[in-house]
Amino acid sequence: MIKLFNVSKRYGQNVALADINLRIRQGEFVFITGPSGAGKTTLLRLIFGAQRPSDGQILISNINLGRIRRAKLDLMRRRIGFVFQDFKLLSGKTVFQNVAIALEVTGERQAVIRKKTHQMLRAVGLSRKETLYPPELSGGEQQRIAIARAIINDPIILLADEPTGSLDPDITKEIMLLFRTINLRGTTLLFATHSRELLRDTDQRTIHLRKGQVVQEVEPE
Amino acid sequence: MALRLWTYFFKRAVSNILEQRLIHLISMGTITISVLLFGAFLLFIVNLNAWLLEWGQSLSMSVYLEDDIGEKGRLQVLEALKGLPNAEIRGYISKEEAMENLREAFGAQAVLLDGFERNPLPASFELVFKDTDVKSLRAERIKEDLESITGVEEVQYSEQWIDRFEGILSLIKAGGFIVGGLLCLAVLFITTNTIKLTIYARRDEIEIYKLVGATDGFVKVPFLLEGSFQGLIGGLIALGVLYLVYSLISLEPLYASAFPVLHVIFLPVWAWLGLAGLSVLLGLAGGLVAIGRFFQPGA
Repeated sequence: MIKLFNVSKRYGQNVALADINLRIRQGEFVFITGPSGAGKTTLLRLIFGAQRPSDGQILISNINLGRIRRAKLDLMRRRIGFVFQDFKLLSGKTVFQNVAIALEVTGERQAVIRKKTHQMLRAVGLSRKETLYPPELSGGEQQRIAIARAIINDPIILLADEPTGSLDPDITKEIMLLFRTINLRGTTLLFATHSRELLRDTDQRTIHLRKGQVVQEVEPE
Repeated sequence: MALRLWTYFFKRAVSNILEQRLIHLISMGTITISVLLFGAFLLFIVNLNAWLLEWGQSLSMSVYLEDDIGEKGRLQVLEALKGLPNAEIRGYISKEEAMENLREAFGAQAVLLDGFERNPLPASFELVFKDTDVKSLRAERIKEDLESITGVEEVQYSEQWIDRFEGILSLIKAGGFIVGGLLCLAVLFITTNTIKLTIYARRDEIEIYKLVGATDGFVKVPFLLEGSFQGLIGGLIALGVLYLVYSLISLEPLYASAFPVLHVIFLPVWAWLGLAGLSVLLGLAGGLVAIGRFFQPGA
């Protein structure tokens, strides 16, 4: 599903990632962990196509991200969901509108957009808050809006960059349950975190980064 | 699907304008003023051209008589004028009638004419040479012949004025188009900066749209439409004001001494459609320049 061959990323003299080789299988749930500055966010952004690697190649479903045109990359992003620590919601738009955006860009009919958005909000437990605005909701609810937006187009891959970083433990558990449910439906999930609580007793594959390099990979038994 | 997308783009553009109406109103106001100035200039030129055309289709002459010509001398002049080929004698204006016409033209300021002890205005015969090739009429020669008649003080004809007028008109046109060009640049500058501001204000929204897979076109088209709408609305308001002004000044026909009545006409269809189209194009161009600077390749 996701293949990285000798991928490096430099920002001037600073090496964010160095010679990364990875294979992520379809349907896997993978933690990407490491201290701040290890390269977790850079890795996710490269897989998302938001940046190009300085060296190496990234293949997603055998499509080389370095060789496709910009317009095709935009279309590919509809199959890759991205969830951020700071949610990245539009405070001037309602919960419904924030989620519907992901369908509007596909040119889908309004009736279909309305139906799918209602269904998705019900699935994440926000059907009664459709007309509210993000600032009126809790952190956990806002993250659920972001997740709903990220998965409404049935993405093949979901990238999550510290999505529970600003949430309390109870809410974190709820969000993690949501992510596991999404993964069980077949979506490949890459979850970047430095939280030891989340990694404790996990049975998921874990990739440890340090100073831009993979220092350890722990496969589930 | 294309129709669906374009409907969506139009709605987004309108909603963007309504959300930031103040800045768009300022921009539209500036466009309105610029188009109005240029439109007023065009209206002036169109009417001048029409008047020149009207005058140029016939040559009129005023044959001014000496004060002491007497009735016999006047009749001799009249006979001489009747002998001119293709000439039609429009009428005879006595000294008293000439003064009366001038008083009417002066209106409220006619009291100024009371200062004259004697009437300085000459009597005149008004001639028109119609249905003839004005250029080949050799008006100067006719003028010399008539001025040689006893009792004729001076002869003036409309072509002298038209020639001078056409020269001035060409200068005015050239100057006007230079000013028009500068106004177009001003409109372009205004719309570019307005769209840049709206793009900047929406940069978070643009980031999210790109995040969920919006193409560059999906993001850019509403901004282009915003620029076009600015140009269209500004242009239409300017044309409306211009028409209103035209309606007011065309209520009374213009008189100018012995010259025919001058009618004020509005811009022809091609001119006002061209103005509206130019406004839209300038707004669109402003949007293109703005998004070109904001959306760099590879960003």
